[in-house]
Amino acid sequence: MSLGQMLRTLLLVDLFKGLWVTFRHQHPKDLVTEQYPQERPEIAERFRGQPRLLKDANGKLLCTACGACALACPEKLIKIGSIRDPETKKKVLTEFDFDLSRCMFCGLCEESCPSDSIALSKDFELALYKREGMKLDRKALEDGVPRKVYDR
Amino acid sequence: MIQNFLAYLHSNVTPGEAGNLIWVTIYVLAVFGGVSFGVIFMNWFERKVMAHMQVRLGPMRVGPLGMLQPVADALKLIIKEDLMPDGADRIVFWFAPVCVVMTAFCSFIVVPFGRTHAITDMNIGVLFMLGVSSLGVLGVIMAGWASNSHYPLLGSLRSGAQMVSYEVAMGMAVVSAVMMTSMGNGVGTLSMIKIVEAQRDQHVWYAFSFFPVGLVALTVFSFAMVAETNRAPFDLPEAESELVAGFMTEYSGFRWSLFFLAEYTSMMAVSSIATTLWLGGWLRPFPNLLNGARWDTAFSLVPALTFLLMAALCFNSAIRMPRLQSMRPNMIGLTAFGSILALVGIIALLPGIRNTVQDIFWFVSKVAGFMYMYVWYRTTFPRYRFDQLMKVGWKVLLPVSIGVVIVTALIGVRHELLALVWR
Repeated sequence: MSLGQMLRTLLLVDLFKGLWVTFRHQHPKDLVTEQYPQERPEIAERFRGQPRLLKDANGKLLCTACGACALACPEKLIKIGSIRDPETKKKVLTEFDFDLSRCMFCGLCEESCPSDSIALSKDFELALYKREGMKLDRKALEDGVPRKVYDR
Repeated sequence: MIQNFLAYLHSNVTPGEAGNLIWVTIYVLAVFGGVSFGVIFMNWFERKVMAHMQVRLGPMRVGPLGMLQPVADALKLIIKEDLMPDGADRIVFWFAPVCVVMTAFCSFIVVPFGRTHAITDMNIGVLFMLGVSSLGVLGVIMAGWASNSHYPLLGSLRSGAQMVSYEVAMGMAVVSAVMMTSMGNGVGTLSMIKIVEAQRDQHVWYAFSFFPVGLVALTVFSFAMVAETNRAPFDLPEAESELVAGFMTEYSGFRWSLFFLAEYTSMMAVSSIATTLWLGGWLRPFPNLLNGARWDTAFSLVPALTFLLMAALCFNSAIRMPRLQSMRPNMIGLTAFGSILALVGIIALLPGIRNTVQDIFWFVSKVAGFMYMYVWYRTTFPRYRFDQLMKVGWKVLLPVSIGVVIVTALIGVRHELLALVWR
């Protein structure tokens, strides 16, 4: 054991170093705890959360009812209903069912969509007490889940 | 009787010395209440400081900043079912926590919070404290034996070995401080009050006398006292990963909370031994550097200012709380708490009370420093292995403390000889 090492042991240098580390981290700026319902977490840009149907600037649905997402879905959980508009000869979306209970948030529907109308949003509060609410209809997909406000 | 009661107010000694039973009772109740409050506070403080050192928040929900968490915990423990394991030795099982608590509180009889603020002055005060507090190990062994279970038995055996081996180093460190008391007039003392008075007369705290020697003794004592009270990093008797909860495994509810109470009380007791022997007990800091009447006045204002500062902090965080309906009770509670602190601070500003109270303040703040160190060690150091623990106790602390005693004696003898020559 060299002299320097011996001095380190005698003067408990390593112990004091450890003490300094814990003392330093008491500063409030180091806190990583997030008081969740009051403080919202920062969601990553590419997070895949609750699916939404997007609208354009005029408030019209972007969806063309092509059915690509339903085909792309590995779980086959998207059901699309459409009628052909007799005047414009275009398909118009009538219903869009999304069974969230089977969804694994792979994002293939989002990728396959030619009109960028379906997207996995940043909303993550999807837990429910019953299975019933898991099946999202077109309205739920357009409006998104209402955010619960916790005041206590 | 009333005359007897009032007569004590003009005396200058502890109620035990004055032989005044009424005041002794009052002091006992005050010390008991104060220490219990300290334990409740420590529960909150330890969780909070530990949380902050581990970059967490700690208790936040019960009361403002989680301050009522210990109260909620105590309530839960009291209404919890009180289990006694099948095949336990009922009487010993019942008596073990009582024994631990009694010994822990008994040692506070001689702790001097000020010249007159002790229950009594005993001429063997330090010896009494060490003796009584080491009786606590008996309760621990009883608890382990009576539980009729493997983990508690192993825990209590470890605890017994640990407490006995660290007692030796602790005693040696104490001896060196007691030897220093004889430096002034050639008469040493074991009385807690006389030891502090000796430090005042010699104008030095024993941590700084014969420079490194006192400090080494204090270091040895502060290691030994952590081991003595079974706290991390020496918490092998209750090592969670190995022994569940050691000797407390089979205890639940109120009995368990008695062990908890005893642990924190004995932490405070050994901290007050360290404060009395090495850090000048109730004496104010910097008696030599900053002396004179003006500095005395300035230092006597510190307790009141501390309380006012705490009150200001309370008000500040009450104002900065989020304006939510649910936060209102917390805000009101914190403001009320701050007002109480402010009231205490204003009362402590009064000249008559100021001088009586500052002894207690300095003593308690020194003990609080040690309590902070306990929490600090707990978050920083990993637990020792049992053979390492024994190695530290017998091969490091014991030789060092014996060396301290010998060096103190040699310096003392040299000092005496020089004094003879000069005379």
